[in-house]
Amino acid sequence: MKYLLMISVLFISLVVHGAEDNFAFDTPAQRAQFLELTAELRCPMCQNQNIADSDAMIAHDMRRKVYTLLKQGKSEQDVIDYMKARYGNFVHYQPPVTAATMWLWAAPVLFVLFALIVVITRKNSRVDEDRETKLAKADAMLEQENQ
Amino acid sequence: MKKIPLVVVPLALFLLLIVFLFQGLFSDPRELDSQVKGKPLPAFSLPDLMSPSTIYTPDVFKGQVTILNVWGVWCVTCAVEMPFLTTLKNEQNVRIVGLYFDQDLDPDFGTKTLARVQEEVTDMLSRYGNPYAFNIFDVYRDTSLDLGVTGAPEHFVIDADGVIRMHHIGDINERVWRNKIGPLYNALLTQMNATSGDDATIDAEPNK
Repeated sequence: MKYLLMISVLFISLVVHGAEDNFAFDTPAQRAQFLELTAELRCPMCQNQNIADSDAMIAHDMRRKVYTLLKQGKSEQDVIDYMKARYGNFVHYQPPVTAATMWLWAAPVLFVLFALIVVITRKNSRVDEDRETKLAKADAMLEQENQ
Repeated sequence: MKKIPLVVVPLALFLLLIVFLFQGLFSDPRELDSQVKGKPLPAFSLPDLMSPSTIYTPDVFKGQVTILNVWGVWCVTCAVEMPFLTTLKNEQNVRIVGLYFDQDLDPDFGTKTLARVQEEVTDMLSRYGNPYAFNIFDVYRDTSLDLGVTGAPEHFVIDADGVIRMHHIGDINERVWRNKIGPLYNALLTQMNATSGDDATIDAEPNK
């Protein structure tokens, strides 16, 4: 129990440290916007971290930029567009729906539909076979009894 | 008759998966599609690293094919490629301009003086060779951000009209130059010479 507590405390301190920078905000809402944006923008250097987590210099600079843009009264979408204009769709963790990325959503649905069709058709055909074989067996047994 | 397609379907899916994953072996995750390629340089007004009273704008790239090299003294790979870049400059007269940015220089706190940065740069260039026509000092790293720079070294091939034609992430070595950057650079040179007058041809002709 003691260890569990220690470990959890360790993780809490790490999470807090990750997003720590000396930024002062006008309103709590702006602060929340900043935290949300830095969590969903992806670091182009340390590719599987968001910019809130990453300690790469580019992540520092991007956090600073997000802060300045928010301070200027830009909306969240403005900031995302600003970063996309420089680093491409890659920089945002929410991919846009395009002809290429459409399959991310379509493929699982198609797979389930396909599987469903296969299951249904196979079930039907097997039932028919079983019934026929059972009938044949029954006929055979009747014939045996009759003899 | 009915059973054949059911056997083929998983096999086909498996083959597709193999092709997909096999391609993945050779893809470079750091190779992002550059957003600045084909566009003119973003507007900037930055000082020279060595004499800060000189201010550069994107106009310094007009009229000459240039390789813009993003670097810093803290970058190990930059030191490794520096001798080769110097050879390119000396033997083929390639115009290389540095976009320098400092890692320790926190714009918000100003922990490092400019004199210290200049000292480090001079020291490094005297050790590995100086390939640069001049160095632009990206003080706040804003221009690097505008260019979509993720780290150092990175290179931009800029044509005579100041349009970015290639964004290369990583160092330039003999192989990269021969296969990727050199052909484009020489093509741009030929293109520039074809459009401009005869005087420019003599100036920009590579020595080799």
